[in-house]
Amino acid sequence: MNWFVLYIHLLQATLGSFSGLASMSILREDFVVQNHYLTDRQLNTALVIGRSTPGPVGLYVVSVGYYAGGYPGAFAGWLALVTPALLVIPMIQYAGRKAESPAVKRMLRAVVLASAGVSLAATLPLGVDALHSPIAYGIAAVSLGLLLFTKVETIWVILGSAAAGLIPAAMQRI
Amino acid sequence: MAALFGREGNVTFGGGIATVAALQRELVNSKRWLDEEQSSMCVALARFTPGTVLLAFCTGAGWLLGRWKGALTALLAGSIPSALLVALMTGCFDLWSSQKLVQVAVSAVLASSVGILLSAFWTTIRPYMKAGRRGQSLAMVAGSIVLAMVGHLNPILILLLAATAGYFLKEEQQA
Repeated sequence: MNWFVLYIHLLQATLGSFSGLASMSILREDFVVQNHYLTDRQLNTALVIGRSTPGPVGLYVVSVGYYAGGYPGAFAGWLALVTPALLVIPMIQYAGRKAESPAVKRMLRAVVLASAGVSLAATLPLGVDALHSPIAYGIAAVSLGLLLFTKVETIWVILGSAAAGLIPAAMQRI
Repeated sequence: MAALFGREGNVTFGGGIATVAALQRELVNSKRWLDEEQSSMCVALARFTPGTVLLAFCTGAGWLLGRWKGALTALLAGSIPSALLVALMTGCFDLWSSQKLVQVAVSAVLASSVGILLSAFWTTIRPYMKAGRRGQSLAMVAGSIVLAMVGHLNPILILLLAATAGYFLKEEQQA
């Protein structure tokens, strides 16, 4: 796929979200459901890679770009990630005071909550793809518990999950 | 500037909020390049900017420090190293994905991603679940889930509807 076309598709998702993972529902609708550029599993893997690295959570868009178009696609993903950030400049120049307006705050709150809702709705198909055994359900539950109730960093949860998956496989071989 | 934004933007785990906090500490307390008011304005406006809060914060702070040159330096330094790492990691995943042990590990990691996504959902909505705004917040989340799953509406349309609803909503009374 042409990297610029891919950039436009990815930009649509990053422009339509107000937090790192909020673009996921838009990307899934466009890339998985409508256009079949990637599978649920690839999207899920991209999310894991994005969370395994330091830096902004939205970095998974780079991984999505790679799956859709190789390294030029990853470049398109990076460009789509950084482009919306430039919008903060006119906001600083012209709209700084309006950020304190109650109506603007209410609109932002509504958009953040709605994007959390649509992200949760998009998580369910990913869950169907990823949770196919009691061990997988256990790993998901323990990961959720660790992230909610402890200060363990995400990278350790991901590495621990990989180890938890590998141990039973290694024991079966023995 | 490139060294500061490159270091803090690309080595801090924990996502945007944690990294923005680390950057604020450096910019305001250690380097004294920005005052608290400028830094807080950048955080507030970054939340209103589409995309990633961290990168909008870097761009805004860079703009205040050096106009276009500063904004582009902060944005590029804050994003390129970690984006390269993600691209390389995805390439390695792609190469090794046919290995049996890698497949087992990836399956386990994908299961954990469900937990990661659910925790991200809760982290996002938790600040809005305080008394006085809980009812509206829950209605907004539930409504968007129903519109997405039952109504099969495009997510962008749902966000536009939410913004419109947010404009007309009144603040709930404190409990």
